[in-house]
Amino acid sequence: MPESWLRAFIAAGRTVGLNYAFLLDARERASWLRGIALTAELSVLTILCSLLVGIALAGLLTSGRPWLARPARAFVELMRNTPTLVQIYCAFFVLNMLLNQLVGGAQNNPLTAYAWAVIVLSTHYGAYHAEALRAGIEAVPRAMRESAISLGFSRRELLAHVELPLAFRFALPSLFNNFVDVVKSTTLASAIAVGEVTYASLMIWVERDNVLEMMILIFLVYGVLTLLVSRLGILLENRLRMPGYGH
Amino acid sequence: MATEQSMTVKAPWSAPSLPPTVLWFGVVALAWAALAHFQRETVAILWQWMPHLAAGLRMNVLISALAIAIGTLLGAIVGALELSHRRWVGAPARGYVQVFRNTPVLVLIFFTTYVFPFEIRLGSLYLAFPDWIKATLGLALPASAHVAEIFRGAILSITSAQWDASASLGFGRSQTLRWVILPQCVKRVLPPWMNLYAMITMSTTLASLVGVTELLESAKNASNTVNRTDFTVLIYLAVLTLFFLYCYPITRFTTRLERKYAFH
Amino acid sequence: MPPAHQPPERPPLVELRQVHLSFGSNHVLKGIDLNVRKGDAVSIIGPSGSGKSTILRCINGLLTPERGEVVVGDTPVHALRTEAERIALRKRIGFVFQQYNLFPHLTVLENIVLAPVRILGVARETAEREARELLAKVRLADKIDAYPGQLSGGQQQRVAIARALAMHPELVLFDEVTSALDPETVGEVLSVIRQLVEDGMTCLLVTHEMRFAEEVSHEIVFTDGGEIVERGTPRDIFHAPRSPRTHAFINGLRN
Repeated sequence: MPESWLRAFIAAGRTVGLNYAFLLDARERASWLRGIALTAELSVLTILCSLLVGIALAGLLTSGRPWLARPARAFVELMRNTPTLVQIYCAFFVLNMLLNQLVGGAQNNPLTAYAWAVIVLSTHYGAYHAEALRAGIEAVPRAMRESAISLGFSRRELLAHVELPLAFRFALPSLFNNFVDVVKSTTLASAIAVGEVTYASLMIWVERDNVLEMMILIFLVYGVLTLLVSRLGILLENRLRMPGYGH
Repeated sequence: MATEQSMTVKAPWSAPSLPPTVLWFGVVALAWAALAHFQRETVAILWQWMPHLAAGLRMNVLISALAIAIGTLLGAIVGALELSHRRWVGAPARGYVQVFRNTPVLVLIFFTTYVFPFEIRLGSLYLAFPDWIKATLGLALPASAHVAEIFRGAILSITSAQWDASASLGFGRSQTLRWVILPQCVKRVLPPWMNLYAMITMSTTLASLVGVTELLESAKNASNTVNRTDFTVLIYLAVLTLFFLYCYPITRFTTRLERKYAFH
Repeated sequence: MPPAHQPPERPPLVELRQVHLSFGSNHVLKGIDLNVRKGDAVSIIGPSGSGKSTILRCINGLLTPERGEVVVGDTPVHALRTEAERIALRKRIGFVFQQYNLFPHLTVLENIVLAPVRILGVARETAEREARELLAKVRLADKIDAYPGQLSGGQQQRVAIARALAMHPELVLFDEVTSALDPETVGEVLSVIRQLVEDGMTCLLVTHEMRFAEEVSHEIVFTDGGEIVERGTPRDIFHAPRSPRTHAFINGLRN
């Protein structure tokens, strides 16, 4: 962005009493922009990983084998009924500590705070996705199964061609609600000093005492990101709409 | 009995319903095994820290109760405004809901903590405005947005025929709301409202990030002070378990209510 | 008029011997004996809840009887133990449901080619060519790219028949295929079935359309309370029933 625009923006801010001078400091500006990039990256990565976790858990939940379904159910309930931040601390202060001792020192530990954030948020939201997918699979009419079986589908083919495509469509609205929550939850990574946008902004307002100004920017960043995700959801819903089915 | 061979009859895709007793038994057994694994000494240290942790937990309960109370009052008002036929009333209310639903709770807690003043001046009286109350407001804002959505959804879910029927009996709009619509809404509102309470309770841990000494912060203090591996493991597991014991019954009860009301 | 009966020495394609089945305490089938010769159309009639649909589900292995034998061609269905064996059986048997059960997320064409391509391994072009021919046969060539939700019940049912035929079955089972239809679309479905029977496809129908059953079937089977009460030519069953229960049922319908 040309410097002159920035100056105009900062001057405009000053007239209404908002201090955006940090944008002229190359170092601060870079770390703040990097924060936005990290938030976006963390969001995309966590959405993808959590979806994989969710599919795996939903598979276990609906497997019909109690020795698979029950542990999966217990895990899902544990994830959904304990605070995300506590889970992050349990991972970063407990598991990471144990891992450090196991590999002989933090310098040998391949897992960074960023990696732990992805892992914890993915398993946390994976549990929510699993519930959405399970409900989707259960919403597939039994008659649909019967007709696929009568055509000679094996269990695997039934799942791949009939149950999953339908379950995915039924679960789509819930899944995208969860994805919006994932985007919002990436702020929690700031608690273990991952430099995403909240953390980067915090670093700036600590120095410049411009909390309100940074808050407005943060609102905008999350507003845009969550809007993008929910638009994508609507787009996909329209793409996958089954004409004449439902409403 | 028919030998149920085929997939259709056996319906292996139906959800395995886990009786709560089994889960509870599992939790207790796990906790027992974990405790047995730790040395007596470690457990004794945990015992010493108990009053500190209990004070922390009281703070979580206090914040969550206050936040849901404020959020419900505020949300009921915003929800009613959202349904207003006047555009200049409805649109700002919808904007409020959008903004506070789509902003991370932690950001809102930072917002109320750092933007709101330390104290409020009432005439010559200075009222302290402690951090925990600011954090409570930070939780109450998104809560009110969610409550508004819950109320709005519930009111809209009641068919217009009921409004017409009430109108033909001579009820006014607010009378219809008070005597016909709201009583029916309670059933639909209760389960999501309780879910929201559980969510808020879990979010109270975020207050630790603005320096409020609640359970998680107390545990962190204890862990840093004692500085022993096995104690760190034990205390964080204890926090996890405590939250689970508090929230799981709520969500379990909510699911039961949902099932029950689904048939009415 | 159905074609004249062929010599009786033709071996049966489907044979049920003393088939018993219950769901819990509900004894649904109490010793069913039935056979269908290749090329025949057999209709099962009887009051609701007399186990008619259950008989069809025993034939394609959706249900397994507790006692008795079910044989399709050379395959002892009652003795099949693995899912793979049952799948092999089901590829040979078409099944048309009361509720059509088309896949709502696939177009008409995809509904028809899915199983031949994925299950039988037919080349896609071949499967699509055959699907077009079948759709022309059920007079729905113009609906090839429509989704099931966009079709009327009668149209969906005709697609379901085409989908079953695309597997080149030896036998087609029809489970009350017109019961869920609007009266004005029943005729179009029945005429497709009539055409199939005239082409020599072996058909076993459970139906409430008595006039149609009388006209199209080689044999009528009357079931009541989980038993076969009487079987015979349409003329015998509808005009000269031997059993008083058959008589009462037929007369009940007429009034």
